[in-house]
Amino acid sequence: MTKRFSIASVFRHGALVLMCVLAIVPLYWMAISSLKNESEIFTSSIIPLKPTLGNYTYAFTQMPIVRMIVNSFGISIMMTMLQLTTSLLAAYALVRWRFRGKALIFSLLSVTWLIPFQAIMIPNYVLINDMGLNETWLGIVLPFCVSTFAILSLYQSFQSFPGVLIEAACIDGLSDWGILTRLILPNTRSTVASLGIIQFINAWNEYLWPMLVTKKMENAPIQIGLKLFVNSDSNMWGSLMAATTVSCLPILLIYLVLRRQIVDSFIRFGIK
Amino acid sequence: MSKTIENLYAPPLAGKSEPLRQPWHQSKLWRRLKPYLYLLPAVALLGIWMYRPLLYTFYLAFHKWSMVPGTAKVFVGFDNFSRLLQNKSFVEAIGNTVFYTVGLLPFSIVIPLILAVVTDKMNDRMKNFYRALFFIPMILAPVSVSAIWRWLFHPSNGVVNHLLLKLGLIEEQIAFFSDASWARWIILFITGWKMIGFSTIMFAAALTSINREYYEAASIDGASSFRQFLNVTVPLMSPMILFMLTMSILFSSQWTFAYIDILTTGGPYGSSTNIYYEMYRFAFSNLNVGVSSAAAMLFFLAFGVIALALNAVSRKFAFYDN
Repeated sequence: MTKRFSIASVFRHGALVLMCVLAIVPLYWMAISSLKNESEIFTSSIIPLKPTLGNYTYAFTQMPIVRMIVNSFGISIMMTMLQLTTSLLAAYALVRWRFRGKALIFSLLSVTWLIPFQAIMIPNYVLINDMGLNETWLGIVLPFCVSTFAILSLYQSFQSFPGVLIEAACIDGLSDWGILTRLILPNTRSTVASLGIIQFINAWNEYLWPMLVTKKMENAPIQIGLKLFVNSDSNMWGSLMAATTVSCLPILLIYLVLRRQIVDSFIRFGIK
Repeated sequence: MSKTIENLYAPPLAGKSEPLRQPWHQSKLWRRLKPYLYLLPAVALLGIWMYRPLLYTFYLAFHKWSMVPGTAKVFVGFDNFSRLLQNKSFVEAIGNTVFYTVGLLPFSIVIPLILAVVTDKMNDRMKNFYRALFFIPMILAPVSVSAIWRWLFHPSNGVVNHLLLKLGLIEEQIAFFSDASWARWIILFITGWKMIGFSTIMFAAALTSINREYYEAASIDGASSFRQFLNVTVPLMSPMILFMLTMSILFSSQWTFAYIDILTTGGPYGSSTNIYYEMYRFAFSNLNVGVSSAAAMLFFLAFGVIALALNAVSRKFAFYDN
């Protein structure tokens, strides 16, 4: 019995350690490659013998990394805020009132799951061009300022909000707007915040649309700049890994601090 | 603020039969309009950025246009559809799409399910530690991930080739991204690598909500752990399994998009492309909007049918423990 248990547990930990290695080693390799000097970069030493920051200085002179990081933050924060605002209002209306056309609105929301971005990219691209918004933050943000994923997630969590409290607030004379901003919102703060984190990460990682809207490096978020760098200098592996490290760093730092909340909120809300 | 409202609600004093004047914000019309006003931003934006373009894409599917502003869109009937289906690269892309969709299932369902079950009886601290590490690939951007794997799989200097050579598994370096027999396997592997930890965590979360008494009952009846897995775990996990299955089938072609674009651009010889990448190329490389839109329309309908079918399956087979 004890023997069987130990074999099982060895197998269990073995499988897990293997998974962790698989998840972490690519990142580790990225980090150490970014610190290796030119003669060492093509060897498979697992610790850089003479660590150097040369790759970083080269990457920062080759492309406007600071500018692109600022772009990424600006775009992601703007997108997250707009998504949270529109979905808070919509989810509140859906939970609070019964009205005509509610079923229709729910089906409109659910069908958006089936619309791949490639099926709407051309008309959106044409519209953004007509509005003269290409190469701008707003051009990247606008098509994404409402997220049905966020609406339905908030709808679910608002539904479990005790109706008695809302009724009591009504009797106390709190307006409908007040019920949302002074009663529901303060009490569901952590839910809204975790949803915000997911939306921020999604916005930061967005690829196809920013690539269509921005062509110049100084207007692009870091992901698009990195892509241009990947395709241009195919032999500067050290500085490419330096740039990649910089592009991952904000997300990894957020993850380090808010690990539990991020994992829990992904479990709660699923993925987009 | 609340004080004035309280006064309005206060019952009129006896004797003063003067009717209460209703302010606008309490009128019936206002109250009926209110839900729509709260919904207006979301619905209007969805209309502008989701449904208008979708309908416009359907319209473009029957026209010939090169996206150049000011040029006319020429009506061509079903021409785009017939050209699409005669296009060899598109037919190949459909095959690859099926390859990616089926190939991702082990990464999104089978392996994660096993891992979740195997690690279920672990103490919470260990569990959280593993969970935190598993999750990292999921939150990284596709571009960063592509850059890293491109370096790892580099034909002459990548560490994967180094290792395989050292272990004697291969005799000469493999050009993973430009070898037609490797490219799509690598794309599949990277997509799966990003997916596997996330699925494991989703299944693990579903497992913890299973009532332990079922297992006790099963082991008293003498069921082996494999039988317990088949007859207790799988049925009770079926809602989550079907949910992940639906996600995986509907989105795998979209998840592979970025890797295809950055790592192989669909090549070599179209061996790693998929339908979404072809749509993108039709539109933005060949400036052939009509064909791209025709493909988009066709696959919107196809995936719609698949989604409905999967939904029907979940209704029928998902087992809920009440």
